[in-house]
Formats: sequence, C-alpha cells, structure tokens
Amino acid sequence: MPETFDYDAIVVGSGMSGGWAAKELTQRGLRTLVLEAGGPVDPRIDYVEHVQPWQMHYRGMGDRKTMERDYPIQSRCYACDEIGHKFFVKDAENPYTTPDDAPFNWLRGRQVGGRSIMWGRQVYRWSDLDFEANLKDGHGNDWPIRYRDIAPWYAHVERFIGVSGAREGLAQLPDGVFLPPMQMTAVEADARPKILKAFGGERVMTIGRVAILTQNHNGRLACHYCGPCEKGCITHSYFSSIASTLPAARATGNLTLLPNSVVAEILYDPKRDRARGVRVINALTRHETEFTARLVFLCASTIESVRLLLNSKNAQFPDGLANSSGTLGRYVMDHNFGSGASGTAPGFKDRRTTGQRPNGIYIARFRNVKSQHPDFLRGYGYQGWSSRSGWDRGKWTQGYGTAFKQSLIDELGPWGFSAIGFGESLPRAENRVTLDPEVKDKWGIPAARIEVRWTDNERAMEKDMAKSMAEMLDAAGFTDVRESDGMNPPGHCIHEMGGARMSQTAKDGVLNRWNQAWDVKNLFVTDGSCMASTACQNPSITYMALTARAAAHAVAALKRGEI
Amino acid sequence: MERRDLLRALGAATALTFLPHETLAAWTRATSGVRPANGLNDAQMALVRAIADTIIPRTDTPSATDVGVHGFVDVIVAERATDAERARFLAGLEAIDARALSTSGVVFADLGTDARGALIETFESESRDDEPARTYWRLKGLVVHGYFTSEPVMKNVLKHTVMPGKFEGDAPLLMPTPRSTPGLEHDHA
Repeated sequence: MPETFDYDAIVVGSGMSGGWAAKELTQRGLRTLVLEAGGPVDPRIDYVEHVQPWQMHYRGMGDRKTMERDYPIQSRCYACDEIGHKFFVKDAENPYTTPDDAPFNWLRGRQVGGRSIMWGRQVYRWSDLDFEANLKDGHGNDWPIRYRDIAPWYAHVERFIGVSGAREGLAQLPDGVFLPPMQMTAVEADARPKILKAFGGERVMTIGRVAILTQNHNGRLACHYCGPCEKGCITHSYFSSIASTLPAARATGNLTLLPNSVVAEILYDPKRDRARGVRVINALTRHETEFTARLVFLCASTIESVRLLLNSKNAQFPDGLANSSGTLGRYVMDHNFGSGASGTAPGFKDRRTTGQRPNGIYIARFRNVKSQHPDFLRGYGYQGWSSRSGWDRGKWTQGYGTAFKQSLIDELGPWGFSAIGFGESLPRAENRVTLDPEVKDKWGIPAARIEVRWTDNERAMEKDMAKSMAEMLDAAGFTDVRESDGMNPPGHCIHEMGGARMSQTAKDGVLNRWNQAWDVKNLFVTDGSCMASTACQNPSITYMALTARAAAHAVAALKRGEI
Repeated sequence: MERRDLLRALGAATALTFLPHETLAAWTRATSGVRPANGLNDAQMALVRAIADTIIPRTDTPSATDVGVHGFVDVIVAERATDAERARFLAGLEAIDARALSTSGVVFADLGTDARGALIETFESESRDDEPARTYWRLKGLVVHGYFTSEPVMKNVLKHTVMPGKFEGDAPLLMPTPRSTPGLEHDHA
C-alpha cells in the first residue's frame, strides 16, 4: 500500500519567503499546509499605523518599563515602539545566547506575516558583481547561480508585489519592473546632478526602490502617504505576505494555514532518504502533533531555519539535518551598516514636502565596481533622506511665549540631509549559529547560540562610508557636514543571511542551485539562510525570487517523480 | 490615490467601527483625567502649569494647559521615568522655585508674566547640564511634545491629515497643512 500524506507540501513560516512558497505551490495545485509559530494578525484590528500620538498613553514616547521588561533586545529596533512592539517577539520567551565579546541583535517577530509586516520595504536586484564576488576574491564559496538564472524570477516577483522606482541603467544595480517612482525632495533633486558631476558620473543617487504601490495594483490600493508602514497598512499598499501572497494562495482553495504552530523538528525517513514531515508544538496548549507531506519548504527566517535543521539531527545526520557537508550554521552574515554623514542644505526656505514619504534616496554602490579600493573588498550603498525639522525643534531651541509658539506653528526649520551606508560583509566559517547546550525557549526547544564578529574589512569599509558621504555632501554644497561613525553590531541591520548556503557541490554547502538540500531531496530552504554572500543590497526580494524559482522547480521535479 | 477609492475600500463602517484594541484602552486611559499614583503634588503641578503656559501661552489658539499638557507631564514623570529620573526631576523643580524665591521672594507660579519670562531667559542662558536649567529643558521638551501631540492642536492648529493621499517633494511653503511627523525620537523623561 503506497504511503499517504497529510498534505502535498508543508511550508514552515508565513512571512516574506513562506508567503511566496505558499503562493507558488498552491497555484501549481499542491495542497499546502503553512505552519506559523506566531498568532494570527487581522489588519482591521491589529494594524496601528493610523493611531495618533494623542491616542497613546505616552504620546509615542514609548512605554519604557514594558520595553525594558519584555523587549530589551527587540526595542533596539526603531519599529518596536509604544504601539509597534506587538509585532516583535518577547525576548524572555525567545532567548538566544552570544559570547560576551560578540553581541548580536536578533530582531524579529512571530506572527502570520512574520517580518513582512514591519520590514523596511526596500528592494534592489542583485547583479553578477554580487553573484561572482565570492569567486573573484576567494572569500566564501562560488554561488551556484548567476544573474541570468534569477532575473526572470525578479521580474515575476516585481510584477506581483509592485515595486516603485526609477530606471538608471546601472550594471551593478539592475533595473526592474517598476511602478512610477516617488518624488525626490527639492534638496535631493538638487543634490543628485551635483554629485553625479563631481564624481565623474559614478555616484548615482536615485529614489529608493520600494515595495509600495504608487498606483493601484493587483487589487491593492496606492499608498496614501500616512508614514509609519512598519505599523501595518489597512489599504495593503506595501507588500506583506498578509496583503498579497497569502490571499493569492488562499484563493486557490489549496491552502491551510495554522498559526500558533511551533515547528520543533523536521522528521526524517531514513528508508526513503526524505523528510517525512514535521513535529509541531501548539504554542498555546503545548499539544504536540505531526504532519506529513511529500515536500517540505523551510522559510522560517535565517537563524530559525538553521536552528530547526540543527534541532532535527538524527542517526543519519548527527550534526544536524542535511549537514553532511559540515557547513550548516556556518558563514552567517549581516550587512555592516550605520556609518555615514549628515549636513544642512542652505536655501530652499520657501519649499517643503507634503504627505509622509515612506521611502528615501539610495546611492548605488560605486566602490570596487570598476577599480579596487586599497583598504577593503566588496562595497556598499547608502540610504538617506532629507527633511525640514518641524515643531519638535522647539524642544531644544531657545525661546518662549507668543512668538516662539507661532514660529513652531507657522515655520519650518532648516533642511537636513543624512545618509548611512549598508555594506557587504565577508562570509566567514567562524561566524556561526549553533545550539546552546542549556538555554531553551518557552516551548522547551534548544535556543540558538550566535557567534558573529566583524573583521577589519568591515571596519575599513565603515570608515570609507563616512568619508565618502561627507565628500558628496561637500560637493553638493551642504553646510555643517558631519561624518558619523555609526557601525552597529551584527544583526542590527536585520539582514542576517547564511548558515545553510547554496553551493555548486554537495561537500561545499547545504543547498544546491534550486535551494534543494543536497542530502534530502524533498527539503527546500529558501529564506535568508540560503545566501552564500550578502551583496550590499537589501535582500528580501532575492529571497522572494529564489523561493518562487525553487517552488517551480520542486513541483516540476515532484511531477517527474524525482522527489 | 482617489479618496473615494480609499473610503470605498475601507468601507465607512469599517473605518469607524474597528479601532485597534490597545488603542482604545490607551485612549480611554489618556482621556480619563485620572491623575496617576505617585504623581506631582499641588505645588509641583502649579509650577509645571505656570512654566508650560509661559512657554506656550493662550493666543488665538490654545495654551499648553488648555490642552492638558500638565497632565501629560504628570503621567510621564509618574509612570515612565525611573525612580532616579523622577527624583532628579522633582529636585530640579524645587531648584527652579528656589531660584524664583532667591531672586523675587515668591515661587515661580506667583511671578508676573514679565518676571516669569525673565527667569526663563536666565535658565536658557545657563548650561543645560546644571540645575535648574537641566530640569527646565527636560520640562520644555515635554511641554512642546505634549502640546503638539494633543488632539486639539493636531486637529485644529496643525490641521494634521492622517491620510494625505499624496506626497510632494517640492511644494511651496504656504501652509495650512501639517509640517512634521511628531518627533518621537527625543527622550525627555
């Protein structure tokens, strides 16, 4: 009698990657179970982007005592504030450990939608400068794919989610399928040509490419420019799995989504050399269940997926499931970021912005594109913004009485501009995730131990980020230009990647060119853990494109009887 | 986007009926008028009110205390500040009154308008690291924040639009629409 399965496919995680796996698998006819560790989210009552300061007890200044008690790590993220903390995990329930000398900020949410609810929404294609980086300088392993492999999948994702941006024709930052760009401010539009001219056309400032609709798209409404996307969006104008991929999956009739389902283990069938399914703990009742399927897609986020594979060790794989290479948990990375510069734009006193632009400007990578910088490998891009200060300048400027009050109501402060760099860190075997031998989470599952350190390469790059940005602001005529050394600890960029990297051979990594585990043919890992390097671009769209590509391959292979 | 599209999408009933649960709770709490336990005493409250209305007096628009800024300061000091911050703030208020007493023989709240202004100018000319200027600036930050984040001021003075519907990067300065997302990043407790 042939073995029967509960579902055709199981997807672990419902966020950025899991939503795409769910959409692509269900649309290809697979009965798919999506397991989400966190609770359900109902945008009508859970989204808080329109809550006004006067509706908050601390007027948006934050509930410090709750933060210090429940969110001491998560509150390091700007989005984890007085009303936004609901989309972040409670630290005590979700512990992780680090060596004392290697701090790592692991910032995350557990809920249907995952971090696609409060992500930064910036989306940039990678290029072959990125996919060939490891091969060229010998750090890390050569990617098993190139730009041509992923380009059609970038387009597939962009068409569905809606990405606004401006075409620039840059080889290192390929153009995509764009909705109309958002506007630059008067100050940004003035600075762009000055910077282009001063640096021989090599430093290109463009409007941020962002997964926010500038016109109605696929049944979702255009942005209404209220501002705080990280608190939700009732009009579904920015991409989240809740707004976009999960409804598409649901529409097929093939989706089952179970919130509050903590996957504790991927079950392995040694007779078939296949993943059999998953063991799940109900987050609320702690009741344990097993679900079986022909196919398992792991989309739990970089560190959670690595942790789950390590926790799924068995007799065949004593060092973690699908870890015959020994690379599982290694080569964990993040973008080094934070250094940059700021300045004041003289003039433009009669100009202002209207509405809240949930986006800024982007300066494409220019280091180590055509020539090699003497101090560091790889490169970085900048994200920045300009604005005039409003009434809050009254908190630190002198004055009182009628004139002071009226000036805060009628006038605006000077135009400020600032930008910070996002850098490509080097993949290193020493930077790794293991299991903590003692610490367990609220559900008794061994916690991750994270050990990631920056090296001199990242530190040298940060110095250049500050210096080069100041140089550009000087060239564009800004005054009061100040460099800032803002290098953050690893993890803080919330672009953690690696740990189950893709590779050209089975001895060199965990996943093949289709995000398929070399050792377990029906197991696919398509979140950030699959990355073999970080590039300097925000990674989410690459996870989405790789997920869609992997799902198409998996279903075809399943139908051919190869899985 | 067109506003009518937005309203159609939300549904008039939906937009009004659904309010995030915790918002409702916080809003109820914030507008209840109940003074927090461990809050300012009457003398401290009188001082806070006097400084608040000197910084933001009543004109054709409300004053700081007209929109309840003193109640906001009370909440922040009683509930948000640590014990040490609270003690330091209260000592700073005492130092402000001590200065008023030593220069004019009465506490700040009993000074006339001109004398209040003169004393504030003195505080603003002194080092922000030393008392009483330090506490004065803490309080000023809270007064400005509390005023411009209050419902009457956001709605009627700043004419804040929750859903502007468009972004313009290069618009003329002519008002009357809003100028700023409230500056939430600065901490004054």
